[in-house]
Amino acid sequence: MPLIRRPSPPVEAAAPSRSLTEGTADQRWAAVRAAAERPDAVPSLAAALAQESDPRVREAIFTGLARAATAESAEAVAAYVRSDDAGLRRAAIDALRAMPMASRPHLPGMLADPDPDVRLLSCELLRDLPQADSNPLLIGLLERESSKNVAAAAVEVLAEIGRPEALPVLNRVAQRFGDDPFLAFSIKLAVDRIGRS
Amino acid sequence: MSELAAVSEEEYAKVCDFLYRRTGMLFTEAKRYYVQRRLSERMAFLRIASFATYYAYLRSDVDGEIEKFINSLTVNETYFYREEHQLRCLSSDLLNERAEAKRPGEALRIWSVPCATGEEPYSIAMWLLENWPEVDVRDIEIVGSDIDTACLTAAREGEFAQRALMRLSPGLIAKYFVPTGENRWRILEDLRRSVQFTSANVTDRAQVRAHGTFDVIFCRNVLIYFDDASRRVAAENLFECLVPGGFICLGHTESMSRISPLFEVRRFADAIVYQRPPEDGHG
Repeated sequence: MPLIRRPSPPVEAAAPSRSLTEGTADQRWAAVRAAAERPDAVPSLAAALAQESDPRVREAIFTGLARAATAESAEAVAAYVRSDDAGLRRAAIDALRAMPMASRPHLPGMLADPDPDVRLLSCELLRDLPQADSNPLLIGLLERESSKNVAAAAVEVLAEIGRPEALPVLNRVAQRFGDDPFLAFSIKLAVDRIGRS
Repeated sequence: MSELAAVSEEEYAKVCDFLYRRTGMLFTEAKRYYVQRRLSERMAFLRIASFATYYAYLRSDVDGEIEKFINSLTVNETYFYREEHQLRCLSSDLLNERAEAKRPGEALRIWSVPCATGEEPYSIAMWLLENWPEVDVRDIEIVGSDIDTACLTAAREGEFAQRALMRLSPGLIAKYFVPTGENRWRILEDLRRSVQFTSANVTDRAQVRAHGTFDVIFCRNVLIYFDDASRRVAAENLFECLVPGGFICLGHTESMSRISPLFEVRRFADAIVYQRPPEDGHG
């Protein structure tokens, strides 16, 4: 029989560096992953994130902060939603989604951010909140939203999780952006779905 | 069947939080009946009447209760040659690619996690013996791991009901199994001894790392039980124990792209799998 069996050798990984910001990317990855298992690691992970340029190590830092799911870790991550680097923004949103309750206090500020990209990405985080929390936030956003793209993102989320109290604002958005056929279609879909639910 | 134990909302949240911290498995309100049923069965078996007493018993891990409770909650029903297209992909593409990267004499390592009662790792072994021409000239190690220790005991025993064999031809059954009773079959001794079974929780980094590195990992239908944070931790643990260029196969409803950007998507004729980039290209 060519199939063999022997005791597993442990993973031979790069020895973690003593600091989260020194050594090779492999060493920093190992250091970050080891640190992320400690509950007191949030400040050092947040500091490392500010200096880290390797996407893989950054990802491990985001996972460590998401795993901690504290007010401090959410605050550290939320700062990157406003990054000029699209990859970093995306990674920050994914990490915030992985800690929905810790992210919750940051949402009103993110949904009112002057940057439409921040508001648009923030809409995605609302899918994972209880409807009683997410609907007022989406309604508030749509009442004041000037960007069609952000409005469309909010409408799309409402189509999934919207409650009847969102119907009036959807009608007002339809009037405000009446010249946009895509938005009109999305709103009709959302209204129909909410009406059926 | 025992009656459902009276468990308040707060108590249910407590036990779910305990399970999450120990295993990464997330049980929501929608799973309340399921969890409460298992809880009631354990309490009835132990003759414990109140939740508070059972919870203290569980937390103190009296007589290995944590493991027993976790075992009662895991879903282990599977069968041989499940998702056969991935096995075809393994023999048509994945192993050929990995074999090319190996030094002479270096073994190819395959991990089935979670392996439930052994159907998957034994299927991999049988499939390769039947379908991979290089099987006679390569060393291949197959490891099956699960968090459920009762399953591991059954896997090592290698005895299965007819139902688990439903996808196998009579020829394969005759070749690799011996009958042990009415509708019961046992896998051949040689095959049983060729697969190593170990205990592992994919969200526990130390446990995962203790298994070494693998060329191919089958990790099907387990990540769906985790929340986003635990899924990310599990993905990074699995990434760490794949050799550069190694592959991971998920269940057909799962997508690594939605969990972690660390892996590259590879589309083969028979399956879509995820790969640790062959050279990380940094350091």
